Amino acid sequence: MFKLNLKIALRNLWKNKGYTFINVIGLSIGMASCILIFLFIRYQLSFDESIKNENRIYRFVTEWKYDAFDDYSNAVAIPAVKTAKNEIVGIEKAAAIFRKWHIIRVKDATGKDLVKKDETVYYVEPDFFEIFGMQWLYAKPTTALNEPNTVVLSETAAKHYFGNSQNAIGKNVTMGNKTLLKVSGVFKDIPKNSSFPLNIMVSYQTYPEKDDECWDCVSSGNEFYILLKDGLKAKDIETSLAQFNKKNYADRKVAGNQNNKLEALRDIHFSEHYDNFSNLTISKTQIYGLGIIALFLIITACINFVNLSTAQAINRAKEVGVRKVMGSLRKQLIVQFLTETFLVTLAAMLIACVLAELAIPQMENLFKGTISVGLFQHPIIFVFMLCLVMFVGFLAGFYPAIIMSGFTPVLAIKSKIKLNNGGLSLRRILVVVQFSIAIILIISTIVVMRQMEYLQQKQLGFNANEVMMISLPNDSLNRLKHENFKDRLLKIPGVNKVSYCQDAPLSPNINSSDFTFNGIKNKDFEVRRMKADEDYFSLFDLKLIAGKLFAKNDTANGYVVNETFLKKVHINNPQDAIGKLINSTGQNIPIIGVIKDFNDLSLKDNISGLTISAGKNNYWRAAIKLDTKHLFSADKKIEQLWNSLFPDQIYYSSFVNESINSQYETEKIMGILFKVFAGVIVFISFIGLFGLMAFVATQRTKEMAIRKVLGATTFELVKMLNGSFLLMVFIANLVAWPIAYLIVSEWLKGFAYRMELSVWPFILAMCITMIITLLTVSIRSYKAAVANTIDALKYE
Amino acid sequence: MIELKNIEKYYANKGVKSYILRHVTTSIKQGEFVSIMGPSGAGKSTLLNILGMLEEPTYGEYHFMGEDVTAMKERQRIELYRNHIGFVFQAYHLIDEMTVAENIEAPLLYKKIPGSERKSRIADVLDRFNMVAKKDLFPNQLSGGQQQLVGIARALVAQPSIILADEPTGNLQSTQAEQIMDLFKKLNQEEGITILQVTHSEKNAQYGNRILTIEDGVIKEDISVEKQM
Repeated sequence: MFKLNLKIALRNLWKNKGYTFINVIGLSIGMASCILIFLFIRYQLSFDESIKNENRIYRFVTEWKYDAFDDYSNAVAIPAVKTAKNEIVGIEKAAAIFRKWHIIRVKDATGKDLVKKDETVYYVEPDFFEIFGMQWLYAKPTTALNEPNTVVLSETAAKHYFGNSQNAIGKNVTMGNKTLLKVSGVFKDIPKNSSFPLNIMVSYQTYPEKDDECWDCVSSGNEFYILLKDGLKAKDIETSLAQFNKKNYADRKVAGNQNNKLEALRDIHFSEHYDNFSNLTISKTQIYGLGIIALFLIITACINFVNLSTAQAINRAKEVGVRKVMGSLRKQLIVQFLTETFLVTLAAMLIACVLAELAIPQMENLFKGTISVGLFQHPIIFVFMLCLVMFVGFLAGFYPAIIMSGFTPVLAIKSKIKLNNGGLSLRRILVVVQFSIAIILIISTIVVMRQMEYLQQKQLGFNANEVMMISLPNDSLNRLKHENFKDRLLKIPGVNKVSYCQDAPLSPNINSSDFTFNGIKNKDFEVRRMKADEDYFSLFDLKLIAGKLFAKNDTANGYVVNETFLKKVHINNPQDAIGKLINSTGQNIPIIGVIKDFNDLSLKDNISGLTISAGKNNYWRAAIKLDTKHLFSADKKIEQLWNSLFPDQIYYSSFVNESINSQYETEKIMGILFKVFAGVIVFISFIGLFGLMAFVATQRTKEMAIRKVLGATTFELVKMLNGSFLLMVFIANLVAWPIAYLIVSEWLKGFAYRMELSVWPFILAMCITMIITLLTVSIRSYKAAVANTIDALKYE
Repeated sequence: MIELKNIEKYYANKGVKSYILRHVTTSIKQGEFVSIMGPSGAGKSTLLNILGMLEEPTYGEYHFMGEDVTAMKERQRIELYRNHIGFVFQAYHLIDEMTVAENIEAPLLYKKIPGSERKSRIADVLDRFNMVAKKDLFPNQLSGGQQQLVGIARALVAQPSIILADEPTGNLQSTQAEQIMDLFKKLNQEEGITILQVTHSEKNAQYGNRILTIEDGVIKEDISVEKQM
């Protein structure tokens, strides 16, 4: 029986090649997209998986609660590392891991550099390896980093430095200019799906500031992990932690209600407030969002299937009737129809796998290689595919099977079955649902794209065109060369202006602090402290509105503040601010000037209240304004000059505008994803519509012929056939608008600077869908309308 | 074999009952060849549908082989289809996607007859109907008469005790029609299969041994056919 059913199913599918094609194409594209989304989500969920004690590993994080804002950090104050181990009950092991950047060299016997590279280096306490169950190639895990001046390397790093990982043990590398480190271990490379991109780990004992006692200094790279005792959870040590917080922060009167909290290891990758070493967080909302899009895709494709199958059901009515009088049970018919659906679904799945395989490289490209996915990565993927086939098979096949198997034989045999003529048929509702989904996605895509455009065109309040930032070595020795370097830079043709500073005006690297304003402790916010020399303002075209700018000076003797700062300390007239004292460094320094606001953070955030002052010891970058005409030649000469002056260091340069744009990478990727998936859903919806139209046209061939004989023009006939479809799409627009409005306005709330949400994206989406609908259905309805009348009428 | 007592069938439409069948009482014995005749709209097909349990009477009793059909569950009825009743339709109603052999095989599959026996029965029927050469053709590759032969073969292969035929020759030319009617007669006489046909044609009715004439839902005549052929 099954074999015959299969054979019949194949013949039936072959007979209705057109519909089968539409079904398979729609389903396979939908499924391929679903597979890709699943691969992506699975990859994201796999971060930091299969670490032995993952349920007992927690990260210490720090948070501040000011009256007007909260702040969060993934790091801890340095003294907390030592104190927490002693004061908190229930910790089995604890380890600090601090991230720094150093130049790492490997020298040959003569002292010549064989390798010289700027590297991210982690200072790690030995217990870290046991907490995370590190896999070693060569070393004793317990003793690897017990001694000062020891280092362990990943397999890749070891190969890179010494050509071969076994050779590395016992060799020396130089960190910075003089610190010699002995390689005491080589560990297995950390997989890509990890929040710990560790390559070089130096013993914590080597860390020069390990005995720092500043409780309110939290530097973003200083993470701290603990392993709880067996059977304990975060909440079991809550009281102990609260005591720790009280004793060390509250009792010490640390500003901003500073507090430590615990974050579970597996939450790190999905953390919204806390960054991590890999800089690869993704919020759960984004994952859910993608999941919903996947569901949308599948539903859209299933709706095509259901619509085309029920539309075709009439053609199968006779078969149902005959089979029933031959003694077929309804159950057997349902099984037969489901067999057909599963066959189509299975075929679609095979094509989907091919499509997904083809699309994976593009997807990895889109994420700039930060993800690596594959169809054969994990057995769960096959389980997912199997479930997808089952799910789609039932979703798409069950309703048509129930309908078709339910025909009464008498009516079926006499071809008197009529499927929901007029009224609110399920098929119409499904089309409306399908198009509502498509329209929601079209509107969202338009809004995302417009917002991105808006961000790109928004005036930021400073001019960073042709401004290049280069690294500036700032240790006491190199600092002596700064004067000279600047003078020589300015002599290079094409260099217009040079300024030493910490960073560009817009940058996510914040140095902020609590402060007293005119002797009164401020409890509302932290002031952002920027350091730059006197040329900074003219180079970036920052506009002074009151007072004056500071003159050339090595340290801060006057602050330039922005308008937001004044607003936040409730001063209305900029003139009134001049001469007021700010103390954020232990020193009262007067405000000497006020500049117009500029965006100092990405446009997702509001402008901070900030001070700019001189501070020779904190200039890590040189901003160089170039002449458009000499861009490339100047670039080269600058690098030459730099290398001759700072031979021990590594040159680094970037254009300010490029780094600003890179802050919207996530949004850009999201925009592209939206475009692609909206495109896919629209495509699936319209081929479904085309199929439905083809069917309706065939159904009404006779009616059309009669109308033609009675004198209807082709135009009138096309209009008649198109009418109901246009109406459905129009209703879908009305359904989609409010939902889309809620979604996009919620998304826009994530931006401090957002475009005005007008009615145009909605109108545009309507126009797009209506026009495509008109074109899609007209192709078929025109063909039906001009068909030869006689053929249709003599048929019966 | 079949007992009908006071069968009524009407459709209520806006309070007005329109009768299709009224007070139909009759019985059909094993081995009879009955033709139901009458003008269009008289209720012939409805009567046949009721006999074939495709429709239910509004009132009345119907006993098939001593069992009350109106009280039967769907499953029991399907059992009757599988084992006792064969249908032949005016428009043949072969399944277009199946070959001749597969069409004939279908009822056997539902009867859960093992594969080897199915093969021999199909071969047997094909042989009897001279259609061995056509067994792998699809219905649309056959003439109307040939299709109806397949239709009858399909009804016969399950070895029913009764064949219900709704204008079996209605779509056929007269020579083909004669061939079909001869076949029915032979089946009736040689194998003792009860046959019930609805027909318009006097001539076809003569093949049987009893004629029921229906007019306006009422049995007008119930006569035996003289064996003059």
